Amino acid sequence: MNAESVMERIAASHAGQAARMAGGAAWARRRELALARVLGSGLPDRRNENWKYLDHAKIAEREFDPAPRVTLTADRLAPCLLPLAAARRLVLVDGHFEPQLSDADAGTGVVVHDLATLFSTDPAGAMRLLREPGDDSDDRYALLADAFAAGGLVIRVDANAAPAGTLYLLHVSSASLPGTSHARVVIEVGAGARLRLVEHFVALGDAPAFSNLAAEMQIAAGATVEHVRLHQSGGQSAQLETWVIEQQADSSYSQHLFALGGRLLRSNLNLSLAGSRAQCRLAGLFMVDGERQADLYTQIEHHGAATRTIQNFRGIASERGRGAFNGRIIVHPAARGADASQSSRNLLLTPLAEINSRPQLEIHTDDVKCRHGATIGTLDPAQLFYLLARGLDPDTARSLLTFAFCEDVITGVPLPELRRGIEELVVGRLPDRDVIRSFR
Amino acid sequence: MMILSVRDLRVRAGERLILDGVTLDVRAGEVCAIMGPNGSGKSTLTGVLAGRPGLEVISGTATYLGRDLLAMPAEERARQGLFLAFQYPVEIPGVNNVYLLKASLNALRKHRGEPELDAFEFLNLVRAKIRQMQMDESLLNRGVNEGFSGGEKKRNEILQMSLLEPTLALLDETDSGLDIDALKVVADGVNALRSPDRAIVMVTHYQRLLDYVVPDQVHVLAGGRIVRSGGRELALELERRGYDWLREGTAAA
Repeated sequence: MNAESVMERIAASHAGQAARMAGGAAWARRRELALARVLGSGLPDRRNENWKYLDHAKIAEREFDPAPRVTLTADRLAPCLLPLAAARRLVLVDGHFEPQLSDADAGTGVVVHDLATLFSTDPAGAMRLLREPGDDSDDRYALLADAFAAGGLVIRVDANAAPAGTLYLLHVSSASLPGTSHARVVIEVGAGARLRLVEHFVALGDAPAFSNLAAEMQIAAGATVEHVRLHQSGGQSAQLETWVIEQQADSSYSQHLFALGGRLLRSNLNLSLAGSRAQCRLAGLFMVDGERQADLYTQIEHHGAATRTIQNFRGIASERGRGAFNGRIIVHPAARGADASQSSRNLLLTPLAEINSRPQLEIHTDDVKCRHGATIGTLDPAQLFYLLARGLDPDTARSLLTFAFCEDVITGVPLPELRRGIEELVVGRLPDRDVIRSFR
Repeated sequence: MMILSVRDLRVRAGERLILDGVTLDVRAGEVCAIMGPNGSGKSTLTGVLAGRPGLEVISGTATYLGRDLLAMPAEERARQGLFLAFQYPVEIPGVNNVYLLKASLNALRKHRGEPELDAFEFLNLVRAKIRQMQMDESLLNRGVNEGFSGGEKKRNEILQMSLLEPTLALLDETDSGLDIDALKVVADGVNALRSPDRAIVMVTHYQRLLDYVVPDQVHVLAGGRIVRSGGRELALELERRGYDWLREGTAAA
C-alpha cells in the first residue's frame, strides 16, 4: 500500500463524516484546515529520525473509517476493570465518552465535560480548550485527531483540590470490526491541586482497530499529579498516542507507563518543565512478545531553573517482538541548576527479537547535572547459574530473572492493588508463571 | 561408599587449560580439603563439578553416586544433592531471598518424591537455621545477597546448605574474607552437616578453616593437578612452608 492511497483513504473517511461532526462553521474550518495540513505533509515515516523504528505499514493497512458505534453494557465491561478501590470511573468507548458507563460524580473539585456535548453547546470554548497541533512530525497524529475531533473529555481539577481516591480513565476499543477512532483528552490541574489518574487501555474484540489519542495536561504551580498508564489492549489493536504536558513552577508529575499489549503501540510524550523547580519522574516498561511492537518516544524540555527529571525505562523483547525507546532531554539556557537523569535498560530474550534504545541529552547551559545510560543485554549468566545451582528449573530461573529485571519499575506504582494487578499482568506474560506467582 | 570419583579430568576455560588431569575420590562421611595457591584451578574444579557454564571438559570423568555427573545439567546435579557454596555469591535484586530458599528446597523435595513444605513448616525451619547462622532475620526478605556484606553472603551460602542438606557439599573458599567470629559460625554450620552418609569438599587457600573443620583428607592442587595428598598434617606443613616447595617438587618430577 503506498502513501498516496493512505492519504486518499483518510480524505475519503473525513468526507464521509464531516457533515455529522458538531461545532458549527468554525470547527468545520478548523478540521478542514487540519486535514489539509495532514494531507499536505503526510504521516511520519521511517525517513523521520523520531519515527524510524515504527512499522508504519501496520498503521497504513488499517481501516480509516470509524467502526459503527457500539452500545456496551456495564456487564460487558466488568471483566476488564482494574480492581481500584474508591475510584471514580470515566469511560471512553472508541473515543466517545459514555456517561452511562461512568461515575456521575468525578470527585470533589473535579469537573468533567464531554467534548461531544461541548462542541454543540460551546464551540468557541472548545476552540480555546483544544490545543491546535503544530507542524512538527511528532504532532502529526495529533493533527490527524484534530481533523477528526468529535469526542473525548475535558477534566478540570480546581485549585487546591485533592479529590479522594483515584480518577480512573478507561479507554475501550470495541474492536469488533476494523475501524479507526480518534479521541481528545484535555486535563487541567489547578494550582496546588493533587490528582491521581489511572489510564487504562483495553480492547474488547480481536479486530484490527486503530485508536488515535491526542491528549494534553496543564499542571499549574505547586500541583502534584500521579499518572499510571496501562496499555493492556490485546489482539490486533494499534494505538497511537500523543501526550503534551506542561508543568508550572514547583509542580510535580510522575508517570508509570506499562506497554503490555496490542499489536502496535506508539507513544509520544512531549513534556515541558516550564516553571522553576518543576519536577517529573517517568518510569516505563514495555514487554513485547509474539509479533508485538512498542515504540516509546519521550521529549522532555527543561525551561525553568532548578527543574528536575528522573527517567527510568525498561524494555523486554522476546520471540519476534520489537521495542524501541527514544528519549530526548533538552536543557534550555534558562534552566540553570537543572538535574536530569535518564536510564534505559533492555533485555533481549530471543535472537529474533529487536530492541532499539536512543537516550539523547541536549544541553544548552553549563550549570546542569545530567546523567544517562542505556543497556541492551541478555540475562546475566552468573545469576542464571546461581539459580540453577540451587535446583531451579531453567524456565523458572529465566522467568524469575526477567521479572526481577522490571521489578523496580513495578514497585514504584502508587496503589498496592494496582501494583499487584500490574505485577500479575507482567508475570502472566512469562513462562512458568505459576512458579513465579509462588514467589510473590 | 564412594560419593565422588574424578578421573584424569582436564578442563579449559576459553583457550586456557586449567585442570590438567585431576584425579580425586571422596567417600561418604569424609571431609576433604583442597588447598593450593591462587590460580591453581581450585574454583574451576568446584565449578565444573557444579555445572558452571563456560568450562569445557576436554577429557576425563566425574562420577557422582555412580552416575555420570558431567552429563547432568546444573539443576539436576543440585536436585541430586550436590551443593556449591559460591566463592562470590551473586547478587540478584528483585528475587527475594526467602522465596529462593523455599523454591530451592521444594525443587529438591519434589525430586526426592517428598511433599512440599507448607509456608508455616518452611518458615519455622528457616528461622531455626537462621538463628544457627547468627544472621539477621531481615536478610530473608531482601533480594538474594542484595547489599549483603561479604560475611553475610558467605553465611547465606551456609544457611542454604544447611537447609538443603546436600549429599555432597562443595565449599569454594567459603572462609575467605571472614573475621574469626564469622569463621566459627560458618565452621559450626559445616560441622553440623557432617554425617556418615554425606561428604564435604572444602576448597581453601589458608589452613585457618581447618582448625575448626578438621579434614580427613588434604589434597594440594597446583598447576591443574593434585600434586600431593595427605592428612591434616599436610595442611599444617603448607601453613609453615607455603606452596613453593611443592611447585619445585613438580618441576623436578
